[in-house]
Amino acid sequence: MKTLRAYLSTLLIAALVITSLPVAAAPVSPQSMDLVSTQSVLANDRAGADRERINEILARADVQEQLVKQGVDLAEVDARVAALSDAEAQQMAQQLEQLPAGAGGGVVGALFAVFIILLITDILGLTDVYPFTR
Amino acid sequence: MKILLSHARYAGVFMLALVLPLALSACAQNPVLLDSTYASLAPQVENNDVPFFSQTEYQCGPATLAMVLNYQGVDTNVDELIPQVFLPGRDGSVQPEMLATVRRHHQLAYPIRGTMDALLGHLEAGDPVVVMQNLSLPIYPMWHYAVAIGFDLPEETILLRSGEHKRHTLSFSRFDATWARSDRWGFIVANPGTLPEGITARNALEAISAYEETHGPKEALTSWQALVERYPANPLGQFALGNALYADGQPEKAITAFEAATQHDAYMGAAWLNLGILQLQQNKPEEARNALMQAASIEGSWQERAQALLTDI
Repeated sequence: MKTLRAYLSTLLIAALVITSLPVAAAPVSPQSMDLVSTQSVLANDRAGADRERINEILARADVQEQLVKQGVDLAEVDARVAALSDAEAQQMAQQLEQLPAGAGGGVVGALFAVFIILLITDILGLTDVYPFTR
Repeated sequence: MKILLSHARYAGVFMLALVLPLALSACAQNPVLLDSTYASLAPQVENNDVPFFSQTEYQCGPATLAMVLNYQGVDTNVDELIPQVFLPGRDGSVQPEMLATVRRHHQLAYPIRGTMDALLGHLEAGDPVVVMQNLSLPIYPMWHYAVAIGFDLPEETILLRSGEHKRHTLSFSRFDATWARSDRWGFIVANPGTLPEGITARNALEAISAYEETHGPKEALTSWQALVERYPANPLGQFALGNALYADGQPEKAITAFEAATQHDAYMGAAWLNLGILQLQQNKPEEARNALMQAASIEGSWQERAQALLTDI
């Protein structure tokens, strides 16, 4: 996986260097009449544009890989990555392991001590694990 | 027997260490609501129009999305949503994908302000709110999504569509304790072009911008219009509207929006630059020169381009 990442980075850096060459020759292209996008302004407190772009593409590759690892159907992976905004893709890439996953499945096979603690906190009104406490 | 006793002692100490500070901090959390909220809200609210989809196994993410999406008129169900949002490896669904899946169905996901007052305000306005809870304790989390649909103020209870329960009633304090563990995370689903009551300008900007990333500025246009209608003095909102209008082939209206952006934030270089570029395109070199000079005088990524365009005029 590391190799894919390294390969992708090299490719991206090369691509960005090559595409920026004509621009370097003429510092700023006056022909460029593209408007500044809303997303780039919203993200303007982040790092420089090119670096940001590399991070975004790498983040998406990372997320794709992680989704596959987490057992997401291959046919769905691309659509799920595409649905994420850049900020969400970065969040997923950086901390998918730590992100809480809402499941609501109930306490299965919990230790007896945990069962007792949650029973008490349920009665105290701090948790909502066992419906029979009310 | 001896071993059992020592185990019991450990468990006791463990429990005390855990439960005591929690019980104490719980006292500090009350009251949950501001007095002004009590005064302004209707005593009882329940949105009966929110359909109920029961969760199976760990599918509370897909089930909550099915409820709020169908409420908005999107025809979908839990089975269709599972492959879109459920992570088999985690036995659950994560927050970024909850929001992203809403957008896949051409709806907007607006994060709410994380307070009980804000939450009840949304419920009174009739908007069901997806909330994330940790039903258990931080050391042994049980993350859960539910749809808040109403409350009873005199009884101090909130009403959820949750798990296998169509009407799950729980006290404000118990609910808030479980909700606080997710940093009071929640969101409202809305059709493009509508901005639910009580959404902050910043949250609306992020939500519409994320929608625009997937569906393009033309589809986001009506939502930007709704945002600007609600917050006309927000420069970023005007700026975003300008970009969407331009993409929709309405450069003159876009100019008006960029002008409004610069009026509300004279230091917004990107708005000056976009304004200048559009005025150049409209063959108004004098006005364009003024806007570009403003952009060139403000430090930022737009400076270079503004200067280049100025030398070109």
